[in-house]
Amino acid sequence: MTVIDVKQVTKTYGDLVAVDDVSLAVGRPEVVGFVGPNGAGKSTVLKMLSTFALPTAGTLTVDGLDVVEQALEVRRRIGYLPGDTPLYHEMRVGDFLAFVARARGLRGGDLTAGLDRVVDLCDVGEVTHRSIGQCSTGFRQRLGLAAALVHDPPVLLLDEPTHGFDPLQVMAFRDLLTELKSERAILFSTHIIQDVEAISDRVLIIHQGRLLGDGPVASLATAAGAPGAGLEDTFARLVRTRTQPRGTGGPDA
Amino acid sequence: MPETGAPSPGRLSSTWVVTARELGSYFDSPIAYVYATAFLVLSCGAFMNSFFLASVADMSAYFESLPFLLILFAPAITMRTWSEERAQQTFELIVTLPLRSAELIVGKYLAALLFYLLILAGSLPLVVMLVWLGDPDLGLIAAGYLGAACLGALLLAGGVFVSSLTRNQVVAFVLGAALACLFVFSGHAAIVEVVDGLTPSWQVGTRLYESVSVLPHYQAFTGGLVGLGHLLYFGLLSGFFLWMNELALRQSRM
Repeated sequence: MTVIDVKQVTKTYGDLVAVDDVSLAVGRPEVVGFVGPNGAGKSTVLKMLSTFALPTAGTLTVDGLDVVEQALEVRRRIGYLPGDTPLYHEMRVGDFLAFVARARGLRGGDLTAGLDRVVDLCDVGEVTHRSIGQCSTGFRQRLGLAAALVHDPPVLLLDEPTHGFDPLQVMAFRDLLTELKSERAILFSTHIIQDVEAISDRVLIIHQGRLLGDGPVASLATAAGAPGAGLEDTFARLVRTRTQPRGTGGPDA
Repeated sequence: MPETGAPSPGRLSSTWVVTARELGSYFDSPIAYVYATAFLVLSCGAFMNSFFLASVADMSAYFESLPFLLILFAPAITMRTWSEERAQQTFELIVTLPLRSAELIVGKYLAALLFYLLILAGSLPLVVMLVWLGDPDLGLIAAGYLGAACLGALLLAGGVFVSSLTRNQVVAFVLGAALACLFVFSGHAAIVEVVDGLTPSWQVGTRLYESVSVLPHYQAFTGGLVGLGHLLYFGLLSGFFLWMNELALRQSRM
């Protein structure tokens, strides 16, 4: 069942082509990793799916809802972790989570249950009274994840979710995604190739705003002319063979 | 299996969620306490000075100084409203929550207004003192406070709007103060005279006084006249700035 559907989407910022005629689909249950170097266009696609940015051309739908025309409904269905994990640093951890949960419409027993669930799931219970600004980068990343999950969304969009994690936290995150994926469509971006290989059912390779590959790692390796190769080699081959030098790339990290 | 994520809450409820967070954020930093103390010291100090000199049991000196103090204090309250969201990149977080832009704007605006009203309420002991010492016209004082609330509501709406135009708080403050200057000084007799003198055929000073200035409407309140026209002036202009804020937010989604 296709939940995220992106059709021939282009996004430009003035003369800069951040995303160039990209089409992709993510079903449920499925974890799809979006891989590419910094500025490849990963974050721009996620920003459009989250309703934060508008496409210049093409259509994006989430659960059959158009992200431009039905933005509010789309926002109710997604859990979005923006890149660099923006948080209100002056707020206390517990207050921040409660604010996001209330803004997402949770009240009463649902609010308490939602908070308890994500505090446990993302392991952010130890310092709920501390200011976010005083927490470590890894903790803040877990907090951003907890905020994205608090309303139990059917669709997860995660931009560089492992940024700032130590190796143990990366392993915990992989376990978390495995737990979550049974009932969700999950699209996450990263420029760390090992993350994608370990977690994803399918990989999207993007470079200079253009989608170079879409499929399981083994299929991509075969398509790149290197059967059995790892994602890192496959990625390098695809970039070498399918791109031409040009001045593109989005403003994303 | 999760199907829709979360229920749709009522608009008032969502607006209040934003208001509560914003109001809390004022008190999370020491700046709020500094603003409140400085505002009360200056406004009440101006009143006490005049009170001891004139020995009259009324609040006119307090209300006369208020528009000039608000030129600096209103933008000081609102300068961070949107610009800080952009600077800290929390703008992306908040506008991708399932909240309508109107709920976000009104929520933030109400927080600024409530914060201002709270500081304004800090001057109520002056009223108690006047009642204790003399026989003030309480109706006149109530009308003055209503005017002060309307004046703040307008200048804060303008400040919230200009804060949406920049990610720099200092720029937001300067723009807000410039806007407040236009509204207040265009009603000052000496300024009107100077501007009229510079534009004798157009009489720009008089035109600004009649069509833009906040002072004639505010002074009607402080003089005890609570008219529908004056209320409409404040209400419509405040609404206009909030609507401009909506347009600015829409533009930022491009």
